[in-house]
Amino acid sequence: MSTQRLETRGLALGYGGAVFARGIDLSVQPAEIVAILGPSGSGKSTLLGTIAGVVPAMAGRILVDGVDVTDLAIHRRRIGLIFQEALLFGHLSVLDNVAYGLRRHGAPRDEARDRGRELLAWVGLAGYESRRVGELSGGQAQRVALARALAPQPAVLLLDEPFSALDLDLRQRLASDVAQMLRDQGVAALHVTHDPGEAAAVADRVVSLADLSS
Amino acid sequence: MPRWLRWTWIVPAAFLAVFLAYPLVVLARTVLAEDAPSTALHRLVAPSLWQVAGLASVQALLSTALALAVGIPLANVVSRYRFRGRALAQALVTVPFVLPTVVVALAFRTLLGTGVPQGFALVVVAHAYVNLAVVARIVGAQWSQHDPDVENVARTLGASRWRAFVDVTVPSLRPAIASSAAVVFVFSFTSLGIVLLLGDPMTRTLESQVLRQTSVLLDFPGAAATALVQLVLVTTVLLLGAAAARRSPTRRLRPVALRPLPPTRSGRMALRATVLCAYVIVLAPVLALVSSSVRAEGRWSLVWWQSLGAVDAGTTRIGSPASALATSLGFALVTALIAAVVGGLAAIAVVAPGRARFVAVIAMVPLGVSAATLGLGTLLAFGRPPLDLRGTGALVPIAHALVAVPLVVAVVAPALRSADARALAVAASLGARPTRAFLTAFGPILRVVMIASAGLAGAVSLGEFGAASFLTRAGAPTVPVQIVRLLGRPGEQSVGVAAALAVVLVLVTLTLVLLIDRLGTSARRTA
Repeated sequence: MSTQRLETRGLALGYGGAVFARGIDLSVQPAEIVAILGPSGSGKSTLLGTIAGVVPAMAGRILVDGVDVTDLAIHRRRIGLIFQEALLFGHLSVLDNVAYGLRRHGAPRDEARDRGRELLAWVGLAGYESRRVGELSGGQAQRVALARALAPQPAVLLLDEPFSALDLDLRQRLASDVAQMLRDQGVAALHVTHDPGEAAAVADRVVSLADLSS
Repeated sequence: MPRWLRWTWIVPAAFLAVFLAYPLVVLARTVLAEDAPSTALHRLVAPSLWQVAGLASVQALLSTALALAVGIPLANVVSRYRFRGRALAQALVTVPFVLPTVVVALAFRTLLGTGVPQGFALVVVAHAYVNLAVVARIVGAQWSQHDPDVENVARTLGASRWRAFVDVTVPSLRPAIASSAAVVFVFSFTSLGIVLLLGDPMTRTLESQVLRQTSVLLDFPGAAATALVQLVLVTTVLLLGAAAARRSPTRRLRPVALRPLPPTRSGRMALRATVLCAYVIVLAPVLALVSSSVRAEGRWSLVWWQSLGAVDAGTTRIGSPASALATSLGFALVTALIAAVVGGLAAIAVVAPGRARFVAVIAMVPLGVSAATLGLGTLLAFGRPPLDLRGTGALVPIAHALVAVPLVVAVVAPALRSADARALAVAASLGARPTRAFLTAFGPILRVVMIASAGLAGAVSLGEFGAASFLTRAGAPTVPVQIVRLLGRPGEQSVGVAAALAVVLVLVTLTLVLLIDRLGTSARRTA
């Protein structure tokens, strides 16, 4: 059994038959935050999409807690995903956004909402439960997205340039907040960014995508 | 802004008052006419009327459901994925909508022959066919704005593919589905040509009931009551649709980024199969129509085409197909002129200062008035002594212009709004007088969209059947009316000549629509 939270072995990335990176070996320990650095268009998002199951792997295996999830459907992989934009569900309230994942994992409605309130308080948004998501600022929306992603307790959280749509000032503040919150929860996370400063501020370990592939 | 801009609203307002409001008042008065108010009330609550209304509602609901069931998967493929032949597929989906309804009905007849009995089911299928474009366009436009990553987020939170579609995608499409459903429902509920040609005596709409009461039973008060009930029902549905569309979650518009084909093999297969189905569904009736225009007595033949110009193709009583074509083209030309002037001035009011803008809103009202209501109202107001304008040949173009004005406004107003009004200030600061400055700022775009919208109005006129069936004189029918008359008589010859005539109508209409499309593209470039 592997002790790694997330591990990829010889992973090849591509889309529609074209392979643009192969032989990616990567591992994330429990409670470790790893940043992957690379310029735009270098395939960082495809790497996260492939690990999450949004894009099929061209070759190689993906393991979560030692279990091979390469052929599992997205919703069975126990992997959380956060994008550049918060992508909140516009027709649901803030609280129902956070509770969504718990409901999908079978939690009763009241229990899911109670846990959702705790998480909202934890990301600093107590009192925002019944707001519509359209009323949130960019930074607030990203905090809700974080609470929503962590609610069903994924084994690994993938963050795809989560702060790059925000102002510089807010970006720095939110990045250090999020790093702290992830450490509080002991969540293993894979964070991709093109910004070396952000990578250094958030991660325990920084690797370059170019170094990962053979 | 030039001063005359304040007064452009007068022309469209007067036109709508005289040719829309007044006929509707006459219609309402006819319900009450000549007898006690209690009789009028009886007419409005007559069981036979509401029985037809109920039947038409069921028919329209089923038509809407079928159009959604086929149109939504089509919207998914055509408006979201990048593949070869996408532009063609998108254009193809629009074809049934621009075909005159009478032509669609005839095409279904020739496709299915006598094997499929006419009636309810056939009417529902034909309505879904015509309205495919409404669903595919409206839902597709919204869907292309929908970020597929939102669905992926739901998946990572534990939702299955289907669950994510239901929880996330459907709510974001709901406004578009609601407004397209309302439009399809209204089109099917007020359908006339398809119901007449493909229905059985049991399949009726209030629209066909109005025609029957007017032309067979000569019960004008009864027909007016039916038309009024329909007007109220249709307005209610349209308002409900608009309300549902407004209650939409946060909407942000962004440039449409088409997605590459799905990564999985099965996904790509499903996509190709959907496109193939679309081709078959859209083209089969059209090809059947073309083929039946060149087949006589089981052989290929051009005899129906040769007889288009002959007076006895059909009978001398209803005139030659060629003269019907000439009549239709003349009406289309006049309609285009009236609609362009009236609709254009209404649209210009949008950029005018002050309260003139209201006229652009009012100009949309005819959309909610059905063709038979319009036809009957016009007939009652201007087709009887003391004021009988039927002999002048002006009634059909006027009614057609009313149908087309909302479309003209819908095309011209957004184009004017998107034109950069700062050019006006620049021109004025360079010494241009107000009118000159207005033309500098809005002239180029106005020229293009006015030609395009006049073409659109002409296309509408060419295919319109409902109002024309009330207003054409017996000796000078329009092409759609002629087609219906031909089909009312037995014999292979009637169907053959009608098919040839329908093919001509299709060619003229599609040519017009293609030209408009090209103009639209160049208009966007100008803007």
